[in-house]
Amino acid sequence: MNLQQLKDTGEGQDLYLPVMAEITGVRKLTALENLYTVRLPGGVDLGHQPGQFVEVSIFGVGEAPFSISSSPTRPGMFELGIRRVGMLTDVLAGYTAGQRIGVRGPFGHGIDVERFRGRDVLIVAGGIGLVPMRSMIQYVIDRRDAFGRLIVCYGSRSDRELLFTDELEQWRRAPRTEVHVTVDHPGDTWKGNVGVITTLIPGLDLDLQNLACCVCGPPVMYRFALLALRSRGVKERDIWMSLERRMKCGVGKCGHCQINGSYVCQDGPVYHYPDIKGLQEALE
Amino acid sequence: MVRFFLEHERLVEFVEHLQRQRRVIAPHRRGERSFVFQEVEDPAAVVLDYPRTLQSIRKFFLPPREELLAFDLTDQSFEAPEPEPIDAVFLGVHSYDMAALARLDHSFSTGNPERNYLARRQGALFVGVTFEPDAWHFSGSVGIEPDDTDGCDVFLARLLDGYVLDVLTEAGRRLVEGFELPPYEGPRPPAHPFHQHIYVPQSRLSGIMGHSFEHPVWAEAAQGCVGCGTCNLVCPTCYCFDVAENVDITATKGYRERSWDGCTLRRFSEVAGGEVFREHLAARQRHRVLRKFKYISDATGMPWCVGCGRCTSACPAGISIAAIVNRIVGDAERVPVAPI
Repeated sequence: MNLQQLKDTGEGQDLYLPVMAEITGVRKLTALENLYTVRLPGGVDLGHQPGQFVEVSIFGVGEAPFSISSSPTRPGMFELGIRRVGMLTDVLAGYTAGQRIGVRGPFGHGIDVERFRGRDVLIVAGGIGLVPMRSMIQYVIDRRDAFGRLIVCYGSRSDRELLFTDELEQWRRAPRTEVHVTVDHPGDTWKGNVGVITTLIPGLDLDLQNLACCVCGPPVMYRFALLALRSRGVKERDIWMSLERRMKCGVGKCGHCQINGSYVCQDGPVYHYPDIKGLQEALE
Repeated sequence: MVRFFLEHERLVEFVEHLQRQRRVIAPHRRGERSFVFQEVEDPAAVVLDYPRTLQSIRKFFLPPREELLAFDLTDQSFEAPEPEPIDAVFLGVHSYDMAALARLDHSFSTGNPERNYLARRQGALFVGVTFEPDAWHFSGSVGIEPDDTDGCDVFLARLLDGYVLDVLTEAGRRLVEGFELPPYEGPRPPAHPFHQHIYVPQSRLSGIMGHSFEHPVWAEAAQGCVGCGTCNLVCPTCYCFDVAENVDITATKGYRERSWDGCTLRRFSEVAGGEVFREHLAARQRHRVLRKFKYISDATGMPWCVGCGRCTSACPAGISIAAIVNRIVGDAERVPVAPI
């Protein structure tokens, strides 16, 4: 049974009532980000796809959307990588194992894993864009035989802000997997690549006939990542992108996440690039 | 269908007849020039001859503020309030407001059907009334005539000395039952003409508006726009909302509340970290207007603007939605249309 089935499925649904879930672990990722492990009542699975999101709320503070950072192949719990950027995330930063949060979801259109199946998977993640992409990376690693090569390109402002540094190493050791990391502003001890994420793309060894690519990052990144991918000959139909908007309701009502006529909480956050190419306001 | 005649002199008596069955919600005068829908206390205060109310009947089914859940911080528990059906008689509703209600019904019953709205929407009865279009109404251009009876149980068509009263549904028959009225043999009076128009058939509107993204009209409209959100606030088909927490003074209890929001307000498209995806007023005006004439229309085949004229009549900068659309239509059709 998953979370959706816990709810009333009558004609009109209670769309805005959370399920109270327990935080079972908090792991500090950087000075700004924590990774929360969350368990639903009875240990039921969230029933999500990589790329989907949930609405998390704390009574008296508020509710906000967060992408799911773990893969559905790892059942019984899910993880949320959350940066401190506002009131809710500040309060959440003080939360420890055993405390409860409200959860609604999963919502949105995630990554069509079936369309990635059998192909080389290229992940382009900028900054906190790695948080939702980690769900797909784990998925591919857990179902390693179902996919071709896994190529992860990850860019961060500085090496101090790198997320999941221990896992980057684990991923590197997975079969047929390569992980490329770059930082814009290196510290004294950084020995890796320096430069924005797009500098990683020209050097990649890509099989353009058998590639599926997913891009996620800050708004400014998309245009340049697309340019870099297109100039490497990556076909538009092989590109998916995960977009950020403030989905307040998650169910296609409140209007906050609209890009033209598309509700990001329904049609996205993961879009097939040809579908949003002509959508103004979608990409910066 | 049964047709009667209701004299002006008997209107109060008719309202009292309705009140004996249900609570009645009808237009009342508010101040010198405004009208509002409110529950009738004094039947003599009901006004059936009015241009438009400040708010449509949307406010009863999608309240400006609504408690989504009440929480207790001491044990992290919550309860959801039970939405009550608004099973009143709505008296004196114009056709464009009925059309707007049908659009809200669509918005809240398709995709993820919402219990809050659908529960309130059960049981209401509607007595429509004709209107005389003023300088701002243009609902005829979006396929809504002043004597359209869609959604009504009873309909009143105004004559000089009274109303032609049509009973349209079984619920309407029971509503009028027991109130003696003379039958009326003749046809309904002809509808009054509109003074404001969109100069293209509605079937072509969405296509034309689809090519308007780079049109200078958005920047022109933005020059006057102050981003106050009034156009969203008074629109009978706007349904976007914000959600916020309210904690009481003891800091132990509170509630989560949704309230009307508007896409012309700056913070509407803000995301974490402060980025605003529709920073410029031109982009916000464009989103508002295209949502009415393109985005939702593409999916439903209907304009989501009902031509009530509220946004234009209430705009402090005098921005006219019909003029914006006509500028775009004029350029697409190469016919001269006055600047906005």
